[in-house]
Amino acid sequence: MAAQPVERIVAQPAEVDVQSLLRRIEELEQAVKIQDRKRELSEEAAVEKAKATPTASIGAGGFQIRTADTNFVLKLRGYVHADARFYPDDVSTGTRNDTFLMRRVRPIIEGTVAQRFDYRIMLDFPSGSPTSAGNNGLLQDAYLNARLYPWLQIQAGKFKEPVGLERIQSGANLLFVERGYPTQLVPNRDAGLQIHGDVFGGGLRYEVGVFNGVANGGSGDNEQGDDDKDVAARLFATPFGKSDNDWLRGLGFGVAGTYGEQSGALRSLTSPGQQTIFAYTTGTGAVGSPNATADGTIWRVSPQAYYYVGPFGIFGEYVFSSQDARQVEGPTIIRDTLRNRAWQVAASWFLTGEDNSFKAVTPKQPFVLGGEGWGAFELTARYGQLDVDDDTFPNFANPGTAATKASSWGVGLNWHLNRNVKLSLNYEQSNFEGGNSPLLNNGEKAILTRAQISF
Amino acid sequence: MKTNNVILGLGLAALLTTVAGTAVAKEHKLLNVSYDPTRELYVEFNAAFTKYWKNKTGDDVTVQQSHAGSSKQARAVIDGLQADVVTLALAYDVDAIVEKGRLLSADWQKRFPHNSAPYTSTIVFLVRKGNPKGIKDWDDLVKPGVKLIPANPKTSGAARWAYLSAWGYALKKYGNDEAKAKEFVAKFYQNAPVLDTGARGATTTFIQREIGDVLVGWENEAYLALKEYGADKFEIVTPSISILAEPSVALVEKVAKKKGTEAIAKAYLEYLYSEEGQEIAGRNFYRPRSEAALAKYGDQFAKVELFTIDEVFGGWKKAQETHFKDGGVFDQISRR
Repeated sequence: MAAQPVERIVAQPAEVDVQSLLRRIEELEQAVKIQDRKRELSEEAAVEKAKATPTASIGAGGFQIRTADTNFVLKLRGYVHADARFYPDDVSTGTRNDTFLMRRVRPIIEGTVAQRFDYRIMLDFPSGSPTSAGNNGLLQDAYLNARLYPWLQIQAGKFKEPVGLERIQSGANLLFVERGYPTQLVPNRDAGLQIHGDVFGGGLRYEVGVFNGVANGGSGDNEQGDDDKDVAARLFATPFGKSDNDWLRGLGFGVAGTYGEQSGALRSLTSPGQQTIFAYTTGTGAVGSPNATADGTIWRVSPQAYYYVGPFGIFGEYVFSSQDARQVEGPTIIRDTLRNRAWQVAASWFLTGEDNSFKAVTPKQPFVLGGEGWGAFELTARYGQLDVDDDTFPNFANPGTAATKASSWGVGLNWHLNRNVKLSLNYEQSNFEGGNSPLLNNGEKAILTRAQISF
Repeated sequence: MKTNNVILGLGLAALLTTVAGTAVAKEHKLLNVSYDPTRELYVEFNAAFTKYWKNKTGDDVTVQQSHAGSSKQARAVIDGLQADVVTLALAYDVDAIVEKGRLLSADWQKRFPHNSAPYTSTIVFLVRKGNPKGIKDWDDLVKPGVKLIPANPKTSGAARWAYLSAWGYALKKYGNDEAKAKEFVAKFYQNAPVLDTGARGATTTFIQREIGDVLVGWENEAYLALKEYGADKFEIVTPSISILAEPSVALVEKVAKKKGTEAIAKAYLEYLYSEEGQEIAGRNFYRPRSEAALAKYGDQFAKVELFTIDEVFGGWKKAQETHFKDGGVFDQISRR
């Protein structure tokens, strides 16, 4: 083979390869771009998939599982109240009952199904849980709420009747360890059907429902002995709830009431220290053993209001209760209408500057052991009175053992370590009129403490 | 108190509350759930309708838009997206809302003129300036080395129309030989390196990511691309034959009734048929139904022989069952 010039050997393939190389570069460039785009699309698909994937979370609000569209939600929550009660002069009042107790032990399952249907089941395992044929005391709440519109929701099951302001407040958000006197004259939880909602952009909340009906302060979930039902209704306005004006935004006021028929046992009334200060006559109904029961119309009315501005908050409520009752002693039946009244005003101030609220308050700086945060400190004070109808005596209650009137004041300190843990210390002092027992004669001084965990 | 009285009282309270709740409404809000490339159309149309409604009634109306692949949007409405109206790429997606969501009646196509399709479009090709691969008709798309950018027929309305256009062309070319049509369409998708979930995504792939030789998609989307990115960068190639695409609109009756927007939602869709609505459609490169608007905007579209889905495939239901359901022809030919 003859030798070729070096430049010809090199130059000839080079001319051919330029076009070929350009094409190959273009193809490679396309291949890279295709891979990049596929990766982009794959990432977008992953993001879309993640959006549609149910999520589980745990935090201060409890444990929660929910679908990406939040149409299905399951929450596991709860709260525990480990209390202690001390009565400094219980020797003089003849009652030695200082005690530790589990006041509330409440697991909660709640959530949403099919976007608009909320449910809640709250149990309670306190010390000495009272259960009867008319009420399963272990079952506090069990209801379904259909959120058709913000202004029209339908709730069915067992839940709080919409009457008492402090009763409606969650047990985990109370200012004092024990609720005040008005709560004892309004229904607690009852089984029934309620429509409720917010109108005027949330400025007015209404609730109206039909329930089995319960005695003052009582709960029930199974009507015993009659077909009659009670109607309970409440209107509560927060006209400046969406205002920018700090001085007006926290104002709320309203009125609630019930009307119905009630028969059966009447409940005792207690002091802030949870000692019985008034009891209706309970006997067999035979001669010498009179028995007083509810027997006829019961109605209640309760104006109520709260106001929160900055760290300060105050609420007040008044309850008037009218109950037809009868006393049976052998062949003798005495009927009367018993009208009881109660009111209270309670206020609090966050020393640490948190915004006060009817609902839960989150400390600005949660307590950290060895750290800078100390949580939130809240000073509380209240005054309240209970007035039992004079017509109650002597046929329906023993004037020798039952108070006709009670006046109480209390002060307290709440230490919110964080959103979940609160320690409470209350001092309550009460004076009573009527009766002739050491407790009613000397009054009550009670120190109540609580360790609360809620999530 | 007797139980009957209690229930009557509750009923009255509910009624009063309903009246009170209705009376305080001041501003109307509509949600139009639409397909991918209609963003610009409905931005302009919504502004026009808002003005029209204000002049007519004195009320304010805000129309929110939601856009994604047509089938994906239908799924979202079935799953609870509170659409007052849907304006989707194809009737089958509205039918899916009827069947699976039960949110509107089955005869929804009779509620508005032209089978509830106020404008039409078709499938064309967008190529790079100079048409370097010499694309002229469907045959050129299945040649080796040509990279196509259609969207995914499983999720995109435009992609289904494109698939059916290719199939219809092949049937005509091979004398209604289904096997050869299937082979033709299989080659078509073998040349598609990327399948986006929606038409707008495919446009992004072709224009912004500079992938592929031909974007196969909506005629209106192709003209919009020319307008936005310049005729010095792209060219539109109109094939000899294509499908008459009839995007459908419908009132989501149950949602609108529940939200109290039934009347205004209906008026919104009716306004698409007004002269102003038709003008807006034409300006956004949709083929208007009204003769006046068509006379004004018809010249911007190239002449093309159009066939309908009913003529070639026996309607959407049959086409869906044969080609796009899980395990259908598209799944068979796109396995790689």
